[in-house]
Amino acid sequence: MSPDSPVVGPARASGRTGRLALGAVVTAIYVFLLAPVAIIVFSSFNPTEANTFPPTGFSLRWYAKFFESAGFVNAFRFSLWLAIVAAVVATAIGFLTAYGLVRAGRRGQGVVQSLAMLPMMVPHLLISISLLLALLVVPVPDLAALVIGHVVICLPFAIACIVASLEGIDAQLELAALTLGASRLRALWEVVIPLVAPGLLSALLFTFMVSFGDVYIALFLSGPGRTTLPIEIFAYMQWESTPVVAAITSMQILLIIALGLVIERLVGLRKIMRV
Amino acid sequence: MEASGRYGRLLLTPIAVIYLVALVAPISFFLVMSVFRYSALDLWIPTVTGENFARLLGESYHRAIIARTLKIALLTSVGCLALGYPLAWYLARTTSAWRGVLMFLVIAPLMTGVIVRTYGWIVLLGSEGTVNSVLRGLGLIDRPLKILHTEAAVLIALVHILLPYMVFPLFAALAGQDPDLERAAHTLGAGRARTFLEVTLPLSRPGILMGSALVFTLTAGAVVTPALMGGKDVQMLGQTIYELTMSTLNWPLASAVAFLLVLCQLTILLVYFRVGRRRVA
Repeated sequence: MSPDSPVVGPARASGRTGRLALGAVVTAIYVFLLAPVAIIVFSSFNPTEANTFPPTGFSLRWYAKFFESAGFVNAFRFSLWLAIVAAVVATAIGFLTAYGLVRAGRRGQGVVQSLAMLPMMVPHLLISISLLLALLVVPVPDLAALVIGHVVICLPFAIACIVASLEGIDAQLELAALTLGASRLRALWEVVIPLVAPGLLSALLFTFMVSFGDVYIALFLSGPGRTTLPIEIFAYMQWESTPVVAAITSMQILLIIALGLVIERLVGLRKIMRV
Repeated sequence: MEASGRYGRLLLTPIAVIYLVALVAPISFFLVMSVFRYSALDLWIPTVTGENFARLLGESYHRAIIARTLKIALLTSVGCLALGYPLAWYLARTTSAWRGVLMFLVIAPLMTGVIVRTYGWIVLLGSEGTVNSVLRGLGLIDRPLKILHTEAAVLIALVHILLPYMVFPLFAALAGQDPDLERAAHTLGAGRARTFLEVTLPLSRPGILMGSALVFTLTAGAVVTPALMGGKDVQMLGQTIYELTMSTLNWPLASAVAFLLVLCQLTILLVYFRVGRRRVA
């Protein structure tokens, strides 16, 4: 430490301890954030029923038990079907909306975009319960209400993904196609859609995850024979909690992380979440 | 530009129809239900009455649930802010090559769904759970601690589940700040603490308010997490709505409860737009 800079020395030292303290705090927060997820994966391989830690051995019996349980397997299949339908519909409508917002956008774009994000601001409980009430008044098949509910909660995510992707492409390209005589539809199909393909794919994956993980819409709108996996787990957990649930949720975590990484590669999660 | 405007409106039609039919209309009808009279026979009688609100605010049973819900929602917001701020600040300022991965780790739990994360906390905090077996293994306790089915358990799980909703708005507010402002404060002789308190913190106010508003509303409407972590001992308004519609079939009273939740949310959003915008402008 040179005597000419008495201020810089201590300041630098305190900066270092400050950084260390911040590092420790941030690490602790990450442990808090990830511990519950990590513990599920650990306990799914536990050979005994009690969630002992450290585990006493390694076993796949809870995974076997899942595949033997007709209730869980059927719920898994139904969730898969529902998530695929909701993802496709939400992505299609989300694309039209995002395209409308970004390309044909006027001064009101900010307001319209905030309105499009509405289902994210309203508690899902309220959306779901209102749809259930609507079913009492308007004769619509229950399944249709469940699908529509999922499409509604998926739409903000689809729009965010596709807007992020559309904003990255050059509007001049489409204009060039139009100038060269392409119809709007042809310009859309041959220029815009291929360019936003990564955005569309990540919208599909993202909305799939939202639908697959949803509890609130399905809590009110799923019926006998149409139970989604989270609701089946919820019902099961109110009575008992064996590591079968850990095995199922571990598979779900694996699926979600894989999909998440694909989205990260395609568009970048950060760009989507900031919209 | 006229054609372009019409094209734009055409593109926005599907979402407008879906939101009107499946969001705005049903929610409005459900909220209007709060002034209807309950009838065991017809479910509801469409007249204007204040009896649902009178019952909700008059009975001590319901008052206790309202008070607990507001308390837990407030504490969850504070908890999320306390954990979310350092995290968001770090993510916004770090130059680490791991930044992308660290961002992903905040988002990843969000994507696994509420059930998965709540289950994780049950495994950790249950009477035969990880925390209890570690404490017993270390010889610190003889009998398992009762952590599950307490308000603390509900609070811990809710803070964990809603933390990402706090981090995103905070991150956006902090990352959007002009780094020159902090540098200028330093140059003008302000210390780290003063720079933070007088420059960084006030500028991140919209993020704080937005995150808190989001977390508060989402907590107030939570059903699954309080049901599994708190059980019957820690009932919140979300569970009340669930029971009123699914077992008691008292739609008007359920609607009055929901109306209360929406009122809370609107108040918070109003505060957000009034306070948040004024200071920044």
